[in-house]
Amino acid sequence: MKVVVDMTLCQDHGQCAIAAPEVFRMDEDSKLVFDAEPDESLSDAVQDAIDVCPVQAIFLER
Amino acid sequence: MTQTPTAATPPLSWDDLAYLPVSDSSFSVQSDAVRQARAQGWCARTPYGLAVLRYDEVNKLIKDRRLRQGSWAWPAHNGVTGRFADWWAGWLLNMEGEDHARLRRLLNPAFSPRALAELSPTFVALANELVDGFAATGECEYVSQFAEPYAARVVAMLLGIPEQEWPAIAEVSATIGLAMGVTFAQELPRIEEALDRLFAYCDAIIADRTANPRDDFATTLVLAQRDGERLSPTELRDSMALLVFGGFDTTRNQLALAMKTFAEHPDQWALLAQRPDLGKAAVEEVMRVSPTVTWVTREALADFEFQGLTIEAGTTVHLFSESAGTDPRAFADPSFDITAEGRVPHFGFGGGAHHCLGHFVGRMDMSVALPILAQRMPDLRIGPGAEWMPLSGNTGAHRLPLLFTPQS
Ligand code: HEM
Ligand code: HEM
Ligand code: SF4
Repeated sequence: MKVVVDMTLCQDHGQCAIAAPEVFRMDEDSKLVFDAEPDESLSDAVQDAIDVCPVQAIFLER
Repeated sequence: MTQTPTAATPPLSWDDLAYLPVSDSSFSVQSDAVRQARAQGWCARTPYGLAVLRYDEVNKLIKDRRLRQGSWAWPAHNGVTGRFADWWAGWLLNMEGEDHARLRRLLNPAFSPRALAELSPTFVALANELVDGFAATGECEYVSQFAEPYAARVVAMLLGIPEQEWPAIAEVSATIGLAMGVTFAQELPRIEEALDRLFAYCDAIIADRTANPRDDFATTLVLAQRDGERLSPTELRDSMALLVFGGFDTTRNQLALAMKTFAEHPDQWALLAQRPDLGKAAVEEVMRVSPTVTWVTREALADFEFQGLTIEAGTTVHLFSESAGTDPRAFADPSFDITAEGRVPHFGFGGGAHHCLGHFVGRMDMSVALPILAQRMPDLRIGPGAEWMPLSGNTGAHRLPLLFTPQS
């Protein structure tokens, strides 16, 4: 599973980090950092993050 | 790449800040005083603390975890304890950190755009049904004939409350809304009585969907689970009640403000009628220049410094969404234009951890409604007798008579 975030869209709301903390987190400056190749076992959490992102910036490449 | 040296931000003294009397009933977020203060600096003093006026600073502070959402202490400030205070404390909006994250993870799936997409045709039918009620006459009282039933029936639809019960939603929400006012403590018995009625509704839905799961929003909410965790019955009930309260007035008010904005821009109204595909852009533009939530409230968790200003723990910080949305630093041409491209996002749904949970619902129901209204209410004008709420806090219209050219 490969996670892609369109950084031109991302507004650093951090909703993905709430939905899937195993994959996404906000750094010291409240900027998004994420694991681009998370384990398959996290696919439900990643899907929740994709759904919740207010600007719909998160995509999957399989 | 050459790096521009970032000069240390000069210290900013509270004494040098402009003062905005945000608690006065005559205060307006669109006043010259606010515009002047925004030209002078990124923030101003208020009776409560700080008002943040420019796009960049609102954008940073709305996501800054040195601030928490600011309404949590409201019942205590009013000497209120008991049922209402307990409900308030359990609100998603008033929680922080892991408690907030856990609840949000469980509520999110019901609000996903994929789950909501199928509601769109229902919204179209509802908007047309309501306009049918007055389209031939060329006039309406828009709040009671459109905005209020539309917003209440959308909430009813989501929660699985029979749609004909919508006046009860409006009534309960208005009574509970008294909790936001200065008479909060005196009105408490009435407010708690309304809260009991709302809870009874929610309990009935929860019992029904637990026993008879269906393919709907309410069932998704009731059966939500994540990592083996579920919402407790109390969490479910409190959250459902918050959805009524967080989704009804906001949508009603935002729909009224949309008509005000378009009545001032007849060319844009005519364009929207011709190009219903601009419905989404219309919602975003309306919420940028005329958001119902004119500010969101935050409270500083610890002393910290921001752009040279020392903000002490406990300071109330109001982030002004309209002022940010019309900031010339962020919008080269801030005038209302539903065809404008490349706009940065507005803050009408807040931002950061407390970003509106229901924004896909609000965006979808309003972007469906506005083109239908534009097509069926050409030559829109505001009639005599409009009654507006103050342009501060959560704003909108109590009464909004509209005139238009009836279609044959
Ligand atoms: C999402 C849920 C909401 C929360 C947590 C919330 C919280 C608050 C709080 C704590 C206050 C008083 C303190 C302050 O001025 O900052 C307030 C003010 C107010 N709220 Fe709400 N509110 C919510 C939704 C609503 C809704 C749906 C309405 C519509 C009836 C509403 C109407 C008002 C009004 C009219 C004021 C007074 C505004 C002013 O003059 O400052 N609120 N809100
Ligand atoms: C035009 C319609 C709406 C507007 C303008 C609006 C606005 C907002 C704003 C500004 C906030 C953030 C408050 C803050 O940070 O202090 C918020 C939060 C929230 N809204 Fe909305 N909202 C709308 C519709 C809805 C709907 C339809 C629902 C639910 C059905 C909803 C449920 C919520 C909830 C639960 C929160 C709290 C989220 C959290 O704290 O994590 N809203 N809304
Ligand atoms: S939720 Fe979306 S906008 Fe927010 S940080 Fe994650 S990717 Fe960026």
